[in-house]
Amino acid sequence: MEFAGLAAGIAVGFGVLGPGIGVGIIAGKSSEAIGRNPDAVGLIRTNMILGAALAEGLGILSFVLGILLWTRIG
Amino acid sequence: MDWLFPRGFKYPPDFHIPSLTGEPLFHVGPLSYTNAHLTMAFVIAILAGLAWFVTRDLRDRPSPLQNLVEILVQGLDDFVVSIGGTGSRKYLPLFGTLFLFIVFSNWLSVLPFIGQVKFLHSPTADYHINFGMALVAWVAYQTEGFRHLKLDYPKRWFNLSGFKDGPVIGAIFILVGFIELFSELFRVLTLTLRLWGNVLGGEIMLIVMSGLFLVPGLALPFVGLEVFIGLVQGLVFALLVLMYFVLAIESHDEEHEEGSDIDSDRVPSPEQHPAPQAA
Repeated sequence: MEFAGLAAGIAVGFGVLGPGIGVGIIAGKSSEAIGRNPDAVGLIRTNMILGAALAEGLGILSFVLGILLWTRIG
Repeated sequence: MDWLFPRGFKYPPDFHIPSLTGEPLFHVGPLSYTNAHLTMAFVIAILAGLAWFVTRDLRDRPSPLQNLVEILVQGLDDFVVSIGGTGSRKYLPLFGTLFLFIVFSNWLSVLPFIGQVKFLHSPTADYHINFGMALVAWVAYQTEGFRHLKLDYPKRWFNLSGFKDGPVIGAIFILVGFIELFSELFRVLTLTLRLWGNVLGGEIMLIVMSGLFLVPGLALPFVGLEVFIGLVQGLVFALLVLMYFVLAIESHDEEHEEGSDIDSDRVPSPEQHPAPQAA
């Protein structure tokens, strides 16, 4: 039980790493796409938000795991 | 003051991390009525009251409020049409209701006292309510898929047509069908947890930033961030539900026809563009 806080921190920290990289790639690529084709900005923005949300969902799963561990403390 | 501040009133306030779900206010048999339910009732009352008040007296020369709501509804309608075409306009009521309810609830979670006092808890920061919304949307789009494609609909999960081309292809189709089936079930879970984690995480972050070093105004930039995230998460929930509807009603045969159309547009066939004859 005394390692639950450590486990929560590690779970959230490592779990957010991947989605962070993914969201960065999505935002960068969509900016690139808007630069190439400024007319398609609406479509690109919708797809970017959708993709970012899907990538972020994985990070949120690790956050939920962290919360579940955190409620075990104390 | 006990009814408002159960932990006693003091300034600077003793922030407490909002609970993961609503706390029960009273019990009716095995069911409990939580503070999230109460706040949800407020949200529904405000939104329904606004809708009733605006549509009570519609005019050709709209009042400012009617104008604002018309812009909102028109924007949502344009968005739905831009995603799924005019055929998906019948999903606008579900899409718009989910969007407005979630965005309103998310923005409530940013306000002070929501999540702090005893009888207020943002509805979307309680995963039961998110799970209910995800379940309603899931049942609705599965029903819509069955209604459109009849018995062709379950073929995307249990596809035996691959056995025509040999047992290996058939086995691969069965396996892909199982993955599809599990991803259907997984959609409810991810819809629920994405919204809940974002809203509750934002609330916790605001509390932590408010209590950090006791610097006034340190949480202010994060309030702006949370307002933006609340809008984006409401949009994402409603947009994903709309995408699931669009995916459920499209049949695989149409998809192939569309693909071949696009291909023939992009790559001109030799018949249409004959090679230049050598003189």
